Amino acid sequence: MRIGLLTEGGYPYATGDQRLWCDRLVQGLAQHEFDIYALSRSARQEDHGWIPLPPQVQRVRTAPLWAPEDDGRTYGRRERRRFVGHFKELAAAVCGEGDGFADGLYGLAELAHERGGLYAALRSELAVRVIESACRAHGARRTVRAAAVPDYLAFADQLERALRPLSLDWYGEDGLGAVDLCHAASGGSAALSGLVAKRFFGVPLLVTEYGVQLRAHYLAASDGELTAPVRALLAAFQGRLAAEVYTQASVITPGNTHARRWQEKCGADRAKLRTVYPGMEADRFAAVGEAVGEGADSGDPYTLVWVGRIDPAKDLIALLHAFAEVRKKEPLARLRLFGAPVREPEAATYLAHCKALAAQLFPDEAADAHAVGTNPVSFEEIGGPEAPEVADAYASGGVVVLSSVVEGFPISLVEAMFCGRATVSTDVGAVVEVIGGTGLVVPPRNPRALADACLALLRDPERRERLGAAARARALELFTVEQNLTAFRGIYLELISHSPVQREAVNEDGEPLPFAHPAEAYVPGHWAGGGAPSKGRTPRWADGPGLVAAAAGTAGEASA
Amino acid sequence: MSTPRITEAGQGAPARPGKPPALRRGPADPVKALMHHHRELCERAVDPLEIAAGLEAHGVTDRTAARFRHRDVFSLAEELYARVPRGAESGPGPARTGARVDESRSGQAGRAGRALLTLLPGAVCALAVVGLEATDGAARLVAGAAGAVGTVVALALCLRRGPLRAAGRTVPALRLWTLWLLAYAAYGEGMLEQIAGGGPQGPLPLTAAPLVALALAVAPAAWCARLFSVHARRKLDGSRGLEEFASGARPLLLGVALLFVCALTALLALAGLVLPHKALTPAVALGALLFLARLLIVHGFAAAAAAGLAAACAAEVAAPVLLLAGRLPRCGFLASPIEAAVGSWGAGSLPAIACGAAALGLLTHATAALSRASAHTVQTVRGADTADEPRQHQQPHRQQHP
Repeated sequence: MRIGLLTEGGYPYATGDQRLWCDRLVQGLAQHEFDIYALSRSARQEDHGWIPLPPQVQRVRTAPLWAPEDDGRTYGRRERRRFVGHFKELAAAVCGEGDGFADGLYGLAELAHERGGLYAALRSELAVRVIESACRAHGARRTVRAAAVPDYLAFADQLERALRPLSLDWYGEDGLGAVDLCHAASGGSAALSGLVAKRFFGVPLLVTEYGVQLRAHYLAASDGELTAPVRALLAAFQGRLAAEVYTQASVITPGNTHARRWQEKCGADRAKLRTVYPGMEADRFAAVGEAVGEGADSGDPYTLVWVGRIDPAKDLIALLHAFAEVRKKEPLARLRLFGAPVREPEAATYLAHCKALAAQLFPDEAADAHAVGTNPVSFEEIGGPEAPEVADAYASGGVVVLSSVVEGFPISLVEAMFCGRATVSTDVGAVVEVIGGTGLVVPPRNPRALADACLALLRDPERRERLGAAARARALELFTVEQNLTAFRGIYLELISHSPVQREAVNEDGEPLPFAHPAEAYVPGHWAGGGAPSKGRTPRWADGPGLVAAAAGTAGEASA
Repeated sequence: MSTPRITEAGQGAPARPGKPPALRRGPADPVKALMHHHRELCERAVDPLEIAAGLEAHGVTDRTAARFRHRDVFSLAEELYARVPRGAESGPGPARTGARVDESRSGQAGRAGRALLTLLPGAVCALAVVGLEATDGAARLVAGAAGAVGTVVALALCLRRGPLRAAGRTVPALRLWTLWLLAYAAYGEGMLEQIAGGGPQGPLPLTAAPLVALALAVAPAAWCARLFSVHARRKLDGSRGLEEFASGARPLLLGVALLFVCALTALLALAGLVLPHKALTPAVALGALLFLARLLIVHGFAAAAAAGLAAACAAEVAAPVLLLAGRLPRCGFLASPIEAAVGSWGAGSLPAIACGAAALGLLTHATAALSRASAHTVQTVRGADTADEPRQHQQPHRQQHP
């Protein structure tokens, strides 16, 4: 199968968000061919180059979203009228409550595909006028009505960049038209290409979001310097786009429940949502994790371990206070904090602050009058002599603590689970979802509860071991790379068999081949029964049993 | 020993029953406190989802929302969005698009340096003309060449930065048209007179005064262009609608053009005191034409500017060609209008008419084109490492992998 992998600001560039899991996906599903269509986010990202690509990557096409672009084409009168018609629909839907967003979007996509020139058109006075009249139209929202000329211009600028995927030359018979499945690695601009491919060629679309694009947009826009009307317009645009992406996608795979909730909020159909947890490499932790089961080494029983990136959101202060409580009851306890090397000045300040607090709370201690003392709290770096690998950091303690007040998907918690360590974590982000019942969870910003939970585990080695084993079993079941790959492999096959792209069969000279597909290939209906991912392609009357025979024949055809 | 309840199954710990709350009692309306805590977020938010995203970034979860008697963060955010009083939206927002781009880049010193730089072409050109007058023979040739090169370099420096900068917006033909127009200003009058008198014979006389005045006029041109862009952006920031902006921008453009013509006329008059020459009008028309063309290029209408300049060039080429064509048998009628014009108004009238008509055409176009709000935007590169100059970027490149 030929998979079109659509990314924005990540894979295959060496810097970016989604590169790790995309890389694992492409490496792991070697039986498929991958065409990568990447949008880059900055000049620096392009300068850093690509990561090495495996042979199953057939081609890579990239386009910048950050640089000014123009194809030098301008519109004649007829095209201008067409542009205004579509853009009016789009703008009206963004400014008010209209539902012409999809029509406008696809109209513009068709225009850009046939004539080009969308760059200039979206920046032209014509577009600005359309935006102005849409903002002032009856039914426009209140925030949008306050817009003035600079807001129109700023919005036109932002919109041109957001709609840039429409103008790319990716939508040819040899481009996205030739793939069997579009897999968008995020919503937003990346998925926009998938929408166009679906519209033009009927290529099914799969959207994976580990962080919801709309939410990321809100967070990014709130510290920008855009005015309120522009932010309102952009937010409305992104919201409509997300809704359209979720409507058109055959399957949406959120990375956790949090993303899933956002997607549902944005209008995703529950039937299409399938949570696929991100995969992590379990091999690195195998040695430590398997040792626990054999009872050989479950870490120093009096040591608490914290591993993570030094950041105020991790609330190390609360952890130190909690540890002070623990020390009162268990004088032998030690706390080891392993952080990644600190680069940002803000994190460095926070680290210094934490170190000062630790020195204040816990004086150095020695065994007797002649020994050199040590501090019960130590700040260490991963890669240092004590912990050359992350696994060593987890192995050094009996209990792993997570004290964050804000957390997305807690990677360090999953790593601790792989290591078979009992954990105490705060109830934030996806923690509860990840840990299930295999660790202790306390409310955030509650050092006393954290201390009590730690004490309970420190004093009960049996419970520690039980929880650790359960955590490792759970992690191996849910969070391995293999699980992730299996899920995607299944989804790929299912999508391709449910909604194959129907192409004219041609021979070497480009002449059409009659009877290349069996007649059954054109019978619409659900082949495999159940599920409804081919919505929009199958008439309602065809929903029914008895088409299984056709399924066998054409699934084979599709995979040929 | 008092231990808060710890749950293994991952439920948040609610307040324990039976014990009186040890801490201070909260207010009757807990959402109010939350609203106060996130006041800035709530006031800035343009819809409930933005508040929800912000709250989540501060660690608010569905379980926290349950404390406020809400099903999830979304409904809590909706309540916050509905309850936060939003001030009048007309208040001045954060920094507008306006003149920020220009002003952030140039300090006071930079601006002074740039102003001095715009005087450079005039100075170099004047020196060159003085050198030409003072020398003769081979030295004169060297002085002329050096002066020409120096002026071109100084001019290029001026056009590379400041309000006359038009990176990536010019078309190559523009340079050719401009050079031809300038060459005609220097030699055209003499050539036309020689041809009209039966020539050409001997070397063409150089009319240096228009060149010096035009080189000097780079300074007022830069200043006028800056005036126009700054005021236009100010108008842009202040106007509510596109029509309002257009009606403000049109008189602004006409005023700036008039201002430049006045400055140029004054400079030409000054130059005329030192280097006497016959007619003022052709140089004024040419200067106005070049100024308007540059203004259009700067705002992204290079094609229109090129058309205007090309029309003027064509008219100027046509005059001597028609005169020469008139010498052919039975073609005398071709030359008669030119001869009449040269005879009654002088050789300078033809370039004046050509450039003046072209300048008027460009002015008409500019009043329409530059009164559009979209002509006053700046498209820049995104990303952390934004360069000073917009980075030229090739079309999406593609690479095939084996």
